[in-house]
Formats: sequence, C-alpha cells, structure tokens
Amino acid sequence: MIHNYLTLSVILFCLGILGVISRRNVFIVFMAIELMLNAANLGFVTLSRLHLSMDGHVLALMVMAVAAAEAALALAVVILLHKHKGKLDTDVFNLLKG
Amino acid sequence: MTETLLFYGFGLLSILGALGLILFKHPMNGAMSFVITLISLACLYALLSAKLIFAIQLIVYAGAIMSLILFIIMFLNIGESDLPEERGRWFYLAGGIVAIGPIAILMQRAFKTLPPGETAIVGDGFGGVQEVGMVLFTDWLLPFEIVSILLLVALVGAVVLAGKREVSE
Repeated sequence: MIHNYLTLSVILFCLGILGVISRRNVFIVFMAIELMLNAANLGFVTLSRLHLSMDGHVLALMVMAVAAAEAALALAVVILLHKHKGKLDTDVFNLLKG
Repeated sequence: MTETLLFYGFGLLSILGALGLILFKHPMNGAMSFVITLISLACLYALLSAKLIFAIQLIVYAGAIMSLILFIIMFLNIGESDLPEERGRWFYLAGGIVAIGPIAILMQRAFKTLPPGETAIVGDGFGGVQEVGMVLFTDWLLPFEIVSILLLVALVGAVVLAGKREVSE
C-alpha cells in the first residue's frame, strides 16, 4: 500500500509540473506550484507512516508554513502586476528579461 | 478492504482535481477543482493516521490559502477577455508529458525498492498533537523559529508590495 501512496504522490507532482509548463495564466501556474508542494507533503507523510517516526509530519508542517508565506507574497505580486499591466499572462511579465 | 477502497476513491478524486486544475480555462474553475484535490489529500492523510496533518491540511490549505486565492481571483474580477490566449497549450502539454514521463517512471521504480509497509490505521501514539509537538519543539526547534521569521518577512513584504504607495515629492 505504501507504494500506491508514493505513486500517487509522483503522479500529482508530475501533473503540477505539467501545469507550470503548459499554462500561461498566473493563477493556474501558482496553484500548480501549490499542487507540487502538496505532492511532496504526501510523500513525507507516507514515509513517516512507513518508518513510524514523526519527522515527516513536522516537515509537512514546515512545507505548509512556507506555502502560506509564498501564497501571501505571490498574490501581492500578482495584484501589483495586474495593476501595472492589466493582464494575467505570464508572458507579459518580462521585466527581468535582458 | 475498506481502507483500500477509500484510498482508491480519494486518490482518483485528487488526480481528477489536479487534471481539472491544469485543464480548465478559467482560474476560478481551476481553483474549485484544486480544492477537491486538497480535501481528498486531507482524507488520505487521515488514512495514513496523520491526525494533526489532516486537520491542518483542511484548516490552513483548503481553508486559509485557497480562500485567499479565491478572494484575489474574485477581487481582480477576471472575465473571458482578461484570460491570456493559450494557443500552444496542447503542444506544451504533449511535450511536457514526453519529457516528464520517463522521470515519473524512474521515480516510481526508485520507490519500488523501498520495503513494503503496512498502512493499517495506528490508534494512539502516532500522528497526534502530542507526538508531533514533542518532536517539533525538541529536534526541530531551530527550523521552527526560522519559519516564524520567514512568515514575519512574508507579512511585511506583502504589505510593502500590495499596500498603497505614498507619492514622494
């Protein structure tokens, strides 16, 4: 059963990568990143269950805290960019392009 | 038996939610189907006897983070015309599957080498608030404090970025 959980985690992570690659909507890209974080969390919790140790749960908590901080900052950036450019297309946001 | 059925049910739901996220055109539909993924992941954590993580997944992820994202999506009032036209979407998706597929198979093979484990639900002494707290406040105390500083920095950064700007004379 452990293997099934880990396979599910791999599938979700790959779907997250596919979302980041194939979409250009900022929100979808952002939520696909969240999906990858969640897939990693599932892996942590599964391995924690396998070894009956609590470290995986603590790591999952840390990942959730980082995801919350990331959500606050990323959404602030999205609001700022939407105010300046009026678009949600990731291709428009090329301020750092050389 | 019930556990296996529940695992397949919630696993299928989470994959369907993730597919909806990367396939729906409007971010609102994507966000709603992502909520389904998050809730079924919470149920999977409960199946893995991670009681605290189950509660926190529901409260923090499906509750706080997703409502923040939904709030911002509604706040920006995105119509059909605001959406970027994603012409090469299916092309990139196919290319991504070709590129990611072998990596996924490799990771799956790597996980196959792990010893097979039981996933029967553990009652007491695993995954509760007390056990996680004991580990969190002894072995993981320094990372815990660093995360608190990170949250403070993110708070200040979000206020600076999204707050109203005074025009300097």
